[in-house]
Amino acid sequence: MEETKTITFTDKIKGWAHSFGLPRLIIAGFLLVLFIAAPIVGADFWMQVTNTINRFSWNAIMVLAMVPMVHSGCGLNFGLPLGIISGLLGATLSIEFGFHGFMSFVMAIIIATPFAIIFGWIYGQLLNKIKGGEMMIATYVGFSSVSFMCMMWLLLPYKSPNMVWGLAGKGLRTTISLEGYYDKALANILQINIGKLSIPTGAILFFALLAFLMWAFLHTKTGTAMTAVGSNPVFAKAAGINIDRTRTLSVIISTWLAAIGILVYEQGFGFIQLYMAPFYMAMPAVSAILIGGASVNKASITNVIIGTILFQGIVTMTPTVMNNMVHMDMSEVIRMIASNGMILYALTRKSEA
Amino acid sequence: MKKSFKSILLDNSVPIMFVIICAICIPLSGFSPTYLINEIITRLGRNAFLILSLLIPIMAGMGLNFGMTLGAMAAEIALIFVSDWQIWGIPGVVLAMIVSIPISVFLGWMCGTLLNMAKGREMVTSYIISYFLNGVYQLVVLYMMGPIIPIKHSSIKLPRGYGIRNTVSLLNMRQCLDNAWAIRIQGVKIPILTLCIIALMCLIIVWFRRTKLGQDMRAVGQDMEVARSAGIAVERTRIISIIISTVLAGFGMVIYLQNMGNISTYASHSQIGMFCIAALLVGGASVDKASIGNVFLGVILFHLMFIVAPKAGAVITGDSMIGEYFRVFVSYAVITVALIMYETKKRNQKSNAARQLQLDQEAEEAA
Amino acid sequence: MKRSLIAKICTVVVILGIAACMFVIGRGHTVYFDAKEIEYNGETLEPGYRTAIFVNGERVARLSAGDRGMATWIGQNFKMTVEVTPEKGAEAVSHEVSLKLPYNMDGIVLNVPALLAGAPEEVYLSEFVSLATEVSSGDEEIVTDDFGIGGDI
Repeated sequence: MEETKTITFTDKIKGWAHSFGLPRLIIAGFLLVLFIAAPIVGADFWMQVTNTINRFSWNAIMVLAMVPMVHSGCGLNFGLPLGIISGLLGATLSIEFGFHGFMSFVMAIIIATPFAIIFGWIYGQLLNKIKGGEMMIATYVGFSSVSFMCMMWLLLPYKSPNMVWGLAGKGLRTTISLEGYYDKALANILQINIGKLSIPTGAILFFALLAFLMWAFLHTKTGTAMTAVGSNPVFAKAAGINIDRTRTLSVIISTWLAAIGILVYEQGFGFIQLYMAPFYMAMPAVSAILIGGASVNKASITNVIIGTILFQGIVTMTPTVMNNMVHMDMSEVIRMIASNGMILYALTRKSEA
Repeated sequence: MKKSFKSILLDNSVPIMFVIICAICIPLSGFSPTYLINEIITRLGRNAFLILSLLIPIMAGMGLNFGMTLGAMAAEIALIFVSDWQIWGIPGVVLAMIVSIPISVFLGWMCGTLLNMAKGREMVTSYIISYFLNGVYQLVVLYMMGPIIPIKHSSIKLPRGYGIRNTVSLLNMRQCLDNAWAIRIQGVKIPILTLCIIALMCLIIVWFRRTKLGQDMRAVGQDMEVARSAGIAVERTRIISIIISTVLAGFGMVIYLQNMGNISTYASHSQIGMFCIAALLVGGASVDKASIGNVFLGVILFHLMFIVAPKAGAVITGDSMIGEYFRVFVSYAVITVALIMYETKKRNQKSNAARQLQLDQEAEEAA
Repeated sequence: MKRSLIAKICTVVVILGIAACMFVIGRGHTVYFDAKEIEYNGETLEPGYRTAIFVNGERVARLSAGDRGMATWIGQNFKMTVEVTPEKGAEAVSHEVSLKLPYNMDGIVLNVPALLAGAPEEVYLSEFVSLATEVSSGDEEIVTDDFGIGGDI
């Protein structure tokens, strides 16, 4: 009697673990251990929480950018750097045109939008031509665009002395400080400080707004059509949905969100990073949403939130805890193994039809 | 006849584009022909073997093996050991190759197994595998070498006592293969032994295509289901093709690094896959078809571009970084274009097949 | 099936054999030559006015009394030719020397006068211990990834 009971119990756990995914379980467990270990090894607990929340507010929108393309069946958007470049164009042009303070942030978004729409549209057309091979080509579209823009950052006639190399008087610097522009533009709105804990309310509200809009959009007619295209293209076609147009729309939204995402990241980080910096930015976002429970063809807002918290939690916690514990900084390596392992896990799983 | 000329032009658009790029950049760069020929031959010896390792997975229909980085990592680990054991010269090179075999086989087996779980998206998966294993490689080399894996010499180890230095000098086996039978013709150094090894490898590949295993691989590459029904162990064949590729990439990396004369422990392997694949594609290969000729044409054209671009870029724009970025951009762009061409072709074939099926059905109904 | 298994085992054994062979013939040593005076059996052996060392037909060192020269050698059977000029202007005397280098030493110091006088190994041969082993400049920054920019391929 007792034996059967245990079997059903372990089975239950097994089934639950299976649906949750073993790697996810490991990562969540790892984070839990880190949080428990942090005070023991002498790391400042509230400081860690603050950092995690901060980094969540920087990165969440870029993770959110994954959602529309997963819904429309375009897979994980490894081409995120393309959207990031639109955002960088918006950021640099806004500064170039002499905007300051919060206004420079608003203008950056306004200027980035047309770029994101144009790039997204072209990118979407391309992805429509190569259905089935999206992810690989997305990766390389991202890489090509980043390395192309490397040349452009040098060649475009930017003049603002805050951005160009001092000696040559031309060519943008690799990192541009945002002091006096939109440094902490969102984070400082309604910021809550309780002891050592500080919460960048504005940035989180901004993410919440976008996440809500995304959620609402997915429940409109166009949004449900998008989900239909992703989950059952044959049915969608029969229902009279224009597949190519829906897919293009999803790519444009994703690209635009990536552009906004990098701007929000910059306002938190305090610097614009150009040249090769956007190169690998897709990887953390992709693995974050996967850690949150998404798969190659299924993703929700909840996945975004959980995933970003877990991923950024690990990114912030590992270095401090590791350093305090064993005096070696293995965080970079652990992050690399965890994030790429997560992507690998998602890719090698039989995609549920 | 005219149409076939056009299709030849279209099929070879990438190499032709590169010939044009080189034709523009060479005069601008102002390099002397002797210098260029010397450089090209050096790079041919250095890279050709690595690129040859890509051919077999293409044959097996698994696309461009971005996982060749795995072989490169295996070779680097082997070379670190060999230089710690102080084995020099050609024996050192041979020993490094042998030591790399078990590591390559294991990594290749793992990669192949994972790719079998991700059929239809082999390339993106092999690409992520290379990143994942780069993390594992760093874990091993940066933290485990020293305390867990014994490394004796302080010239290799970091001063802190664990981990390997940024660069490991291979001074004692530097260019030992290249110099072994080298001859000089009017200032151009020709590394005969290295070229012989490469030629031998080409012969082996040609021979391999005719063996039973090679035929099986081609069958699997053409159509997995057909091959399966013909009694070929599809999964096994695919794993073997990746293992062979990884082992060859390891050998290639040893040859590459003995020419370079030092290992950048944490950077040498990371971009090597990208550059090799770009070179192969520049030679006119595609994702599903590549020949030995593509390898050599690719090395020559790609590396010619690689040598002249920075100088030419500096002349045109007055900034040497432009050329550096340009060649990186071109590498990525070439891969992107080749991937797009491959996917559109695949899609067209699919829709053509569907149309043909429909026509057949209609004909049947009419009859 | 059985035959192919045997063939496989044979291949592995042959490869391991080659590897073992490489271990022996590929071991590199750095050999240092000291033209310094040395006490042996109660007498002092003096180096000549000038000592020239030839390895593989190439002159690797030309030493005055008290100097140290250096050469690299792969394998254990070390051969060299030593040309000693006893006094200034005198005729050089050539000696063919071959000896076994100990496998486990990276750097080996040979005392030339003792070697030529036929002294036992423990007199003329000693391990080279680098004094300035660590010019430690703190921890070096680990560069994990350059994007292939500026690098050579």
